[in-house]
Amino acid sequence: MTNRIWGFIKSVLLIELLIGLSVTLRNQFRPHTTVEYPRETPNLKPRFRGIPRLRKNPETGEDLCVGCLLCEKACPDDCIKVVPEKRPDGKGKQAAKFIINYERCCFCGLCVDPCPTKPLTAIYMSHDFELASESRTKFYYPMNNLYEGAQIKEYSR
Amino acid sequence: MTVNEPASTLDTDIMEVNMGPQHPSTHGVLRLKLKIDGETVVGCEPIIGYLHRGTEKLCESLSYPMVEPITDRLDYVCAMSENLGYMGAVEKLCGISVPERADFVRVIMVELNRIASHLLWLGTHALDIGAMTVFLYCFREREMILDLFEEFCGARLTYNAFRIGGLLEDLPPGWTGRCRQFLKVYPACQKEYEDLLTKNRIWLKRTKGIGVISGEEAVEIGLTGPSLRGSGVGYDVRKAHPYSVYKRFEFDVPTGENGDTYDRYLVRMEEMRQSLRIIEQALDTLPEGPIRAKVPNWLKPLKGEVYHSVESPRGEQGFYIVSDGTDKPYRMRFRGPSFANLQALPQLCVGHLVADVVALIGTLDIVLGDVDR
Repeated sequence: MTNRIWGFIKSVLLIELLIGLSVTLRNQFRPHTTVEYPRETPNLKPRFRGIPRLRKNPETGEDLCVGCLLCEKACPDDCIKVVPEKRPDGKGKQAAKFIINYERCCFCGLCVDPCPTKPLTAIYMSHDFELASESRTKFYYPMNNLYEGAQIKEYSR
Repeated sequence: MTVNEPASTLDTDIMEVNMGPQHPSTHGVLRLKLKIDGETVVGCEPIIGYLHRGTEKLCESLSYPMVEPITDRLDYVCAMSENLGYMGAVEKLCGISVPERADFVRVIMVELNRIASHLLWLGTHALDIGAMTVFLYCFREREMILDLFEEFCGARLTYNAFRIGGLLEDLPPGWTGRCRQFLKVYPACQKEYEDLLTKNRIWLKRTKGIGVISGEEAVEIGLTGPSLRGSGVGYDVRKAHPYSVYKRFEFDVPTGENGDTYDRYLVRMEEMRQSLRIIEQALDTLPEGPIRAKVPNWLKPLKGEVYHSVESPRGEQGFYIVSDGTDKPYRMRFRGPSFANLQALPQLCVGHLVADVVALIGTLDIVLGDVDR
């Protein structure tokens, strides 16, 4: 009997709705967790996988790529095309042409996995992800645009 | 012809109405052909295929490691489970044993992903029914998990986190600490959702007694996961056919009683708590050691076939691979839990109002990427 009375009082006083409202009220005073993206840049973690880019040896400035075609073979989307050539000093090979088609790239990072250059891999996943363009042909990135620092954005904020 | 027509001509007709494929609460591109008598649904026919990408055929032209990013895109809400299932199948096929540490890290990731997936389900399900606030809170907590994933594997949705034979990279320094912090913060957040929903009279009215399905019927249709457990059948692949290192962890398999939408909601809420328990145990007993077994770059399994299934947040996710001895699978088949669960929808809908159909799509927790493949 007391249970029923208590239940009746609860339903009349809208207790459970008031509990819910107290939750929303408490949340009014919490700090924001959203990032206003185009105005603020999001805080990317070190391992973030953006577009794959090429790297030069930071000490000598030489190309790290040895033209082994392993990344081309590992790519599930067929978006990498490498044409190897002999290095001018005669030792080993280098890439004469290295084209990535970002239209097809799925940012999986499988191309970085088999890269044989140590300790830095020649191809790596950069933190750039803003690729919007007005034309499809612009997604074919030739070799000189693949190095770090090369401009990929063609619009401004 | 008389002016006063007989009353029989004023009878209502059964009307066919299309719901979707662009309906916001069908969670993707699901089209439902509803037969309605007034406001009551008398028939329902799901029409699928709007997101069909031919994944299974596509896999036949890719080598084994290349398929992993494709499994990310099946059930994109819980890509870690898909990765684990595919890796398990390939490792079974090739007879690779995974280092212990890699197994533990995989379990932690999958269970975190289960929480993230259930949070997304809870948010969208509540949003469909009309509780907007929960959606925002759920996404806030899901963001914390996604940050952990981004730190570990570099992606927030299509993780591609594991590799055949183990992991690509170890956990980053300080990751376990941040994970523990999440475990500490999260239970209070879940209490907030429960405060908002569990006893809310509107929520009860919209979910109790809606879409009742008995245990036998659910098994006949092929439901798995929380949708099955809501009907009282305690089938969980993690317990029934333990894979990875799940045997070492203590956790319960929550089941419902009535098999209605409310019970399925309670089951999923409890599952999140059980996932927290598993993660805690895994973090406490995380062994040191190597993270990747030696695997050749160009994997060529022997002739044979293998089926491996894992418990994804939606149910039993199976991978069937036929190998003909080359570096590409001869046949690849994915058993998607969402596809099987969707079959229950016509039966659940009948007799309910049109407004309940959105609640029923939500309660089955389908992901159209997994339905259509």
